[in-house]
Amino acid sequence: MSRAARVLVGAEMAGRELVRRRVALALLTGLPLAFYGAAAGHSPDAVETGGVAMAFSVSGAAIFAALSARAVDERLALAGYRPSELLLGRLLVLELFAVAVAALFALVMVIGSDPAHPGALVLGVELVALVGVPFGLAVGALAPHELEAVLVMIGVVGIELSLETSELVAKLLPFWAPRRVLQFSLGGGAPLGQMTLLSIAYAFALLAAAAWLLGRRLGQRAIAAA
Amino acid sequence: MTAGATLKAPLLEASRVGKRFGGRAVLAGVSLAVGAGETVVLVGENGAGKTTLLRICAGLLTPDEGAVTVRGRIGYCPQDVGVLDLLSADDHLVLFGAGMDMPRKRALSEGHRFLDELGFPPGERGLVRDLSGGARQKLNLALALLGDPPVLLLDEPFQGFDRGAYVSFWEHVEAWRKEARAVVIVTHLLAESHRVDRVVELAVTS
Repeated sequence: MSRAARVLVGAEMAGRELVRRRVALALLTGLPLAFYGAAAGHSPDAVETGGVAMAFSVSGAAIFAALSARAVDERLALAGYRPSELLLGRLLVLELFAVAVAALFALVMVIGSDPAHPGALVLGVELVALVGVPFGLAVGALAPHELEAVLVMIGVVGIELSLETSELVAKLLPFWAPRRVLQFSLGGGAPLGQMTLLSIAYAFALLAAAAWLLGRRLGQRAIAAA
Repeated sequence: MTAGATLKAPLLEASRVGKRFGGRAVLAGVSLAVGAGETVVLVGENGAGKTTLLRICAGLLTPDEGAVTVRGRIGYCPQDVGVLDLLSADDHLVLFGAGMDMPRKRALSEGHRFLDELGFPPGERGLVRDLSGGARQKLNLALALLGDPPVLLLDEPFQGFDRGAYVSFWEHVEAWRKEARAVVIVTHLLAESHRVDRVVELAVTS
């Protein structure tokens, strides 16, 4: 069986697990809608707030996927999986989920807020989804338990939402570039291409961190094969 | 401490293994060799390091001292049932089988055979979270047996088993011996000690 086939089987099982978390999925999908809905009536920043809050959905799903798999990751590595295969399988299915939820959510915001650049709004929300999955996988690989992981996620996204994009700390956070794209969609000035590339680079950096953490945990083969 | 040696060519060999957690030494200078067709039971008080030794032998923990050599693939059955609540037994068989390069059909047929022999509820297609503790443990063990690994490391493998499954397990132990596998079983129950080649006791390290 090829490496790609192992990744696909891992993705299939991660997908089955994900769809069986129906209540959690509904809550995760409803959360950014609630943020957007709460701000839409009175705040010009509703698109920004809602768009960045998408991170709660996709990062949350990634955290649950990473942490629930810990019970079997060691055994799967013993069975023959490489840590990168386990990670890629999860990444594949979570990104599919994230892109779909982001598209749906972007559509709601385009209809609800009539932005100056609807395409940029869709792009901004999709970039949040793109970065959010590896962010969740990295946090899930680092945190010891679900509570700590969720607190880290809430902390990072919460700080992101409470800072102006011009502040230095905001610029260091993972969802800064997608947020700038969302600002552009409302008529603000932002170098769209640069922000898109920065988001993609951040996503790859987070994925590399998640791979390193998982590899460190599973890759310590302390035995010699004779 | 020397926990045992074998005259047969060992499939599993741990030499002078030591492990500390925090300031406490859990294992100190433990050696264990298990040959093909040999079954060893590891016993000892709580905290004697049985599970730690098994995890080191499986390569899941790095020893602070010593080394482990294994000839062939390892089938490992952890004490805490290592399965996913939101997958079915069949999902697990396919997932674990893929790691061993087993096609889906073969993983399912081989896995079903082990599950049937252990008395897993016939036709059970539900999620693992809905299974009884005994059924989960049977799946846990069946996953360790998948792919016929020559080295089996089983940590309390019959927890929650009913009488029939327990008897079936020990019949399997005899079959594994005939198949020239090296088997290490961690248990507190010594009722079946006559069916194994050696009983190795680990003492709490002071």
